[in-house]
Amino acid sequence: MRDPRSQLAIAAVAFVLGMLVVVQLRSQTGGSALQALSTQDLTTLVASLNSQNDRLRSEIGTLQNQLDELRANRATGATSVEQIASDLARIRAWAGLDPVSGRGVMITVGGKINAEAVDDLLNELHNAGAEALAIESVRVVARSTISGPPGSLDVDGYILGDPFRIRAIGRPETLVGSLTRAGGIIAQLAATDPEATLDVAPVDEPMLLPASKRTLVPDHGHPRL
Amino acid sequence: MSLVAARIRAIPSWQVTLGLALLALGFLIAAQLAAEGPRIRYTTQERSPLVETALALQSQQDTLKTRIVDLRNSIQDIEKQDTGSAAAIKELNAGLEQARIAAGLIPLTGTGIVLKLEDSTQPVPPDGNAADYLVTAVDLRTVVGELWLAGAEGIAINGERLTTSTAIIDIGGSVLVNAAYLASPFDITAIGPSDLFSRLSSSPGFAEFVQTRRGSFGIGVSWAEPDHVDLPAFAGSVNLRESKAVPSPSAAAP
Repeated sequence: MRDPRSQLAIAAVAFVLGMLVVVQLRSQTGGSALQALSTQDLTTLVASLNSQNDRLRSEIGTLQNQLDELRANRATGATSVEQIASDLARIRAWAGLDPVSGRGVMITVGGKINAEAVDDLLNELHNAGAEALAIESVRVVARSTISGPPGSLDVDGYILGDPFRIRAIGRPETLVGSLTRAGGIIAQLAATDPEATLDVAPVDEPMLLPASKRTLVPDHGHPRL
Repeated sequence: MSLVAARIRAIPSWQVTLGLALLALGFLIAAQLAAEGPRIRYTTQERSPLVETALALQSQQDTLKTRIVDLRNSIQDIEKQDTGSAAAIKELNAGLEQARIAAGLIPLTGTGIVLKLEDSTQPVPPDGNAADYLVTAVDLRTVVGELWLAGAEGIAINGERLTTSTAIIDIGGSVLVNAAYLASPFDITAIGPSDLFSRLSSSPGFAEFVQTRRGSFGIGVSWAEPDHVDLPAFAGSVNLRESKAVPSPSAAAP
């Protein structure tokens, strides 16, 4: 071991060993699950993140204007009753506490379809930017559930007939395009639920979606300060 | 035997050290090559920038959400301080507070449970489908649906509050919730009655989910019942572009 050449050899091997340990650990922890996605999935993910970030920037613009206006009112001693009332109306409508009206899309679902497929459809509508949804006379909110066997689906206690209608408010062209694109949800459901028929139609006249009948304020949670 | 032992003892210790180091080196090289395997399958010139772009966009999204929460807090503070036409403002603010709570725009604390779902660590059989061994959007939706049915009143997944506009969807092997990219493990936090877990575990639907996904595919399902759970506020958009609010005559309170 006193031979300098052997010490050099061990030092060189230890150096390479250390490098490889670092590379191996980084490859295990840093790559994240994104590394496992295909190029096509990554492209879809990037597009989805892009549109969401655009929506968030737009929200920031709205909130900033609202804040500026409130501050200006305060500075001049004016009251903000109208602005607070408008904020209240918007949040109530968005949450499903009040009815909403607007153009959008209507999907008529016939035949046997399972609850999971209807849930897929609702999630795709939300992802495509639908602002409010209703299945027949039931407003779909966060706590809404769809259960039961095909033919007697239960939405928040309401038993669906055959056919039943799903109405969504949003830009009709965007919603229809997103649902009916090649490989989209309608094409997927045609393969997984061949006994069901789904007819998608844009609606340019305002549709009235009801308020939710559910109690949406929690009993077991309170605001965290 | 004593001859072999004598020969082993005669090997210089530095040679033994070098031999062991080379053995570890060989092992690490093999492990590194094996880890590179799946990536080589997908490698294209445009792939690496796409991963970087997705990570950068997700990071931007986190910053934008923090800004939204800050702005909403500032607006709420000013609205509460507005004392003009005191009675009218007070009533409006009380309604606004309740509406914000109902909408998921205010962080909550209360009794509840935390469920954890994790990708399977079992090896995928040669004839198996790798996707079955990962937590999917359908798994998350199933558990969320069971929690609502068991009486949950507010839910968040990995810090994303579920609201009336939430979509939980798959993109390849990843899951988007509120258009945010989430990866396993998934912590599903639910506020509800103190016996929420007891109600959930007695549900045939939840029992079937656990049996199928954990029993057949090794998906990790675990839970905890802390003293209290915290839910964050929803940090997404509540803008209505196409919808017009129609005041409900009977909806004085949420």
